[in-house]
Amino acid sequence: MRSLVAGDPGIPDVRGPIGYLWWVARGQTRLILIGIGFAVVWWLGQALVPAALGLAIDALIAKDGDALIWWSGAVLGLGVVQAAAGASRHRMAVYNWLSAAYRTVQVTTRQATRLGATLPKRLSTGEVVSVGNSDIEHIGSSMDILLRGVGAVVAIAVVTVIMISTSPLLGIVVLVGVPMVTAAVGPLLRPLHRRQLRQRDLQGELATRAADIVGGLRVLRGIGGEQVFAARYREESQRVRHAGVRVASVDSMLAGAEILLPGVLIACVTWLAARFALDGRVSAGQLVAFYGYAVFLIAPIRTLTEAADKITKGHVAARRVCHILSIEPEIQDAPELRETLREDPPARHTPSDGVLVDERSGVAVRPGRLTALAAAVPEDAIAIADRLGWYAPGEVTLDGTPLADLPVAWVRGHILVADNEAKLFAGRLRDELDITGSATDEDVRQALYSACAEDIVAALPEGLDAQVAESGREFSGGQRQRLRLARALLADPEILILVEPTSAVDAHTEARIAERLGKARAERTTLVCTTSPLVLDRADLVLFVEDGEVSAEGTHRELLATSSGYRSSVTRGED
Amino acid sequence: MAREILPVADRAQVRAYARRLMLKHPGELVLALALHALAAVTGLVTPRLLGELVQDVAGGSAHVRVDVIALAIAGFVAAQAVLTRFAVFASSRLGEKVLAELREDFVDQVLGLPLSTIEGAGSGDLITRTSRDVDALSHTVRRAVPETLIAIVTGSFIVGAVVLVGPVMAVPALIAVPLLWGATRWYLNRARDGYLRENAAYADMTEGLAETVEGSRTIEALGLQRRRHERADRDIARSFAAERYTLGLRLVWFPAVEIGYVIPVVATLLIGGLFYIEGWVSLVQVTTATLYVQQLIDPVDRLLSWVDELQVGGASMARLLGVADVPEDRTPGATRPAGEDLRAVGVRYAYREDRDVLHGVDLEVRRGERLAMVGPSGAGKSTLGRLLAGIHAPRTGSVTVGGVPLVELPIDELRGEVALVTQEHHVFRGTVRENLLIARPEAADADVWRALEAVDAREWVEALGGTLGEGLDTMVGSGGQTVSPAQAQQLALARLVLADPHTLVLDEATSLIDPRAARHLERSLAAVLAGRTVIAIAHRLYTAHDADRVAVVEDGRITELGPHDELVAAGGPYAALWESWHGTAK
Repeated sequence: MRSLVAGDPGIPDVRGPIGYLWWVARGQTRLILIGIGFAVVWWLGQALVPAALGLAIDALIAKDGDALIWWSGAVLGLGVVQAAAGASRHRMAVYNWLSAAYRTVQVTTRQATRLGATLPKRLSTGEVVSVGNSDIEHIGSSMDILLRGVGAVVAIAVVTVIMISTSPLLGIVVLVGVPMVTAAVGPLLRPLHRRQLRQRDLQGELATRAADIVGGLRVLRGIGGEQVFAARYREESQRVRHAGVRVASVDSMLAGAEILLPGVLIACVTWLAARFALDGRVSAGQLVAFYGYAVFLIAPIRTLTEAADKITKGHVAARRVCHILSIEPEIQDAPELRETLREDPPARHTPSDGVLVDERSGVAVRPGRLTALAAAVPEDAIAIADRLGWYAPGEVTLDGTPLADLPVAWVRGHILVADNEAKLFAGRLRDELDITGSATDEDVRQALYSACAEDIVAALPEGLDAQVAESGREFSGGQRQRLRLARALLADPEILILVEPTSAVDAHTEARIAERLGKARAERTTLVCTTSPLVLDRADLVLFVEDGEVSAEGTHRELLATSSGYRSSVTRGED
Repeated sequence: MAREILPVADRAQVRAYARRLMLKHPGELVLALALHALAAVTGLVTPRLLGELVQDVAGGSAHVRVDVIALAIAGFVAAQAVLTRFAVFASSRLGEKVLAELREDFVDQVLGLPLSTIEGAGSGDLITRTSRDVDALSHTVRRAVPETLIAIVTGSFIVGAVVLVGPVMAVPALIAVPLLWGATRWYLNRARDGYLRENAAYADMTEGLAETVEGSRTIEALGLQRRRHERADRDIARSFAAERYTLGLRLVWFPAVEIGYVIPVVATLLIGGLFYIEGWVSLVQVTTATLYVQQLIDPVDRLLSWVDELQVGGASMARLLGVADVPEDRTPGATRPAGEDLRAVGVRYAYREDRDVLHGVDLEVRRGERLAMVGPSGAGKSTLGRLLAGIHAPRTGSVTVGGVPLVELPIDELRGEVALVTQEHHVFRGTVRENLLIARPEAADADVWRALEAVDAREWVEALGGTLGEGLDTMVGSGGQTVSPAQAQQLALARLVLADPHTLVLDEATSLIDPRAARHLERSLAAVLAGRTVIAIAHRLYTAHDADRVAVVEDGRITELGPHDELVAAGGPYAALWESWHGTAK
């Protein structure tokens, strides 16, 4: 079953939910067919027990010792077959479930990385994450239920044939009675689901309230208000309790009905069978067998109801997955370029290192220099950085060549935009900093020094081998910012665009970073978007942007002396 | 910072608590158990009657007798259904009641946790306990406890019934007990860890996907696509390995148990049958006993499948009860402060043994003074701030207000003296008003607006709720209107203005607000806080410039202390930093 964890999931059919489910099923056809086979044997093992039991009782009544041993052995044999087939069926069910779930995770992950910067614009995080939290389970279950569902149909058919051939009338009573009994609890299910839903909602709210209390515990213990919150929690907790009792009142009704309805049917069947037995139409053993069939049939019929439910849910989940899988990235290689790329290795598309120009704002990033961009409005700087890195469309040229004429992959490798929205990923700290995997220990040390992040690593007991938790959440905002800077420096792109790289660090550290950044990027092209005087003072050239356009340029000191707008922007009205 | 993990209650404590909880409502418990017992007894009549029926049919009895028996079966089924209905209801009602008490007790304990624990432990552990453990326990109390109780009651009655039918018939029923017992023990010994690993691996996989989604732009920027694919594939491989392990366990346990169920049925039938042929027992006895043994499968199966769940619930309960074991971090003394001057003398503090982060700090803050603390990260500013706010006691030395050590004040008094606001911000679920009234429940709307004005938040609060103009009544926090981190910091500060302690420690309390806006905010806040003592830990130098005095903290020591102008005039490191920050234009 190695195929379950295969590297390449293949290309899914994303035209519709049924197509997607079909694609999933086709990928595991063998598992499904073997599983169905076992499920059929497993069901039959159960279905035939009443018949064997009935024959054993007939042998007993006839005081036929040999036949009794024979039929008792048959019951035992059926038990063993059932246990063995049941285990194999379960194994196949788990494999099918997992295979479908894993492949869905794989294709969703691949799609998320393919969409890249487009994803947050087109989808909410919750939408995609819910694939992992619930959709894969529904898709997995829809594969799993196929096995038991098909088996159940076979089992029902076989029992029907046995019953009809023994006693047509009794057979029909059982066949009509069992589905009726199953359907009769239906009216109770709707209020039950409604009350359960209400209970779940309230419970969800209660959990949120509890998380809220824990999240704000510092505030509550620091300033007060515990009593208010304790009372509010108690009130909501009692509401959940009463909702639970309301669920219980229907649920207990259901528990009673599940005894009453089959019980009455079984009483009827037994009564009829007993009368037939007295008339000699069936044997005493067959009386017991019919009792057994009526009891048995409840299970496969419930399985069919379950199958309908699970396949519906799988369909809904597949629709969500399809929606995600069918989105296209906003920034893609131009169609004619894609043609050339197929014939030609991308090595040719390397313009010599020239100036990077954003036509709209007039920002020009000169090669081999440290340029700073100070914007009167922070949003301007972000918009310009997005255009320069080709995350947003714009007229941007590199050494005279429009970025749109270059392969996206090449641009991403050449120009790195490092902003404060960037994430740290979970993993070993050293691996997360050295994303190319090619840096030496000295490179890493140097980058940490330049980003003033050495103290963060020193404070970790395992140093660079420490595991970073998801999003680096055990680090403070300032620490994360410095680690991200170290990562960007280690990536060592030809052109590095940093957006407010020191906004969350203290002035002392900021001064050090500003001093070290120039050395770390010597001979490389760098643009820093910042309003920190400490950083601006270290740049070779400062561009001041007002109303989306460069309005002045020069060194920090020159601009301080000549531009009053610049002065008030970077010294924050300190005059 | 060392990650303290909250304590976990031991087995004896869990047992004692569970017992206390059970016996707290003796009447309801007895009622529920009695109803289940009655339901079980009525359920036992049907097989007996069926046995009679088989005997009658075999003996060729009258139709009338068959009719009566069939009617009796129907009657007992109806009785059993009704009894079951009330039994399930009674036990569920009791379960809900106990569950509510459990979680309310827990939240009360959480709300009473010592300050130093909250500041030190990080919220991860506590959040897990509040969400996952409360959930797990709910499931156990709602399902596992009643199901096992019912199974035990029903099972015992069935065994009793078999013995009543004929003591000799009980023997074949018992032959599978060693198999069931052994297989289940084997399984349970391994299952717990196996499932924990399985769940952890599964969670890793879904978290990995979440991370890929949240960081999709970063992935594109840094070209991490391959890595993320590999991470997903690795997670899947780990999840599959864990799944295979538990599957392997089930592939042993399931067949063993199922065969364990069928053996007694066959044995009863065969041995009973041979006894019948020998004339030692009657036909009724054999048929009834066989049906009883078959009926026994259900409660035994329930019992076996819920034992596991009981263990999980027990573990969760141990973690919930553990919160009550956190030792109190302060013993209030009797003396009350005389004056409002805050003084630290010879303060040292260490998070880990032998690693002092503060090396003998002396500091005196006069009433109504504004002191700014600056210095590189990791220098000990925040730690000093926490000591000055009375969260922790210094390892050596003292921090006193009006001559009384802060940690010897009862928590309610401490709040009146000094309050701490950090850069961590939390908006509670509720209206804006509720968020602010935490600090002073009796405050009037006018006071609330004044506080919001002091932190430059009036404008956006008024605009909240769009055209509805709900203002203070707007729901915020999780599920409500989104409030930006910067606005959350403003709310936290407004709360502090309402609380109005005479000393405030602000640890980067405006760090998330745009630098230009922050400056304005700090000034308007200063106006409202005139006369209050403010200690501001800041990473922006204008905060220092605006303060009465500046303390430069480096490497666990105060290296420079004095008014901004004096420090600049002195030409030390602070002056150098200021010059380069401010430029030479001035």
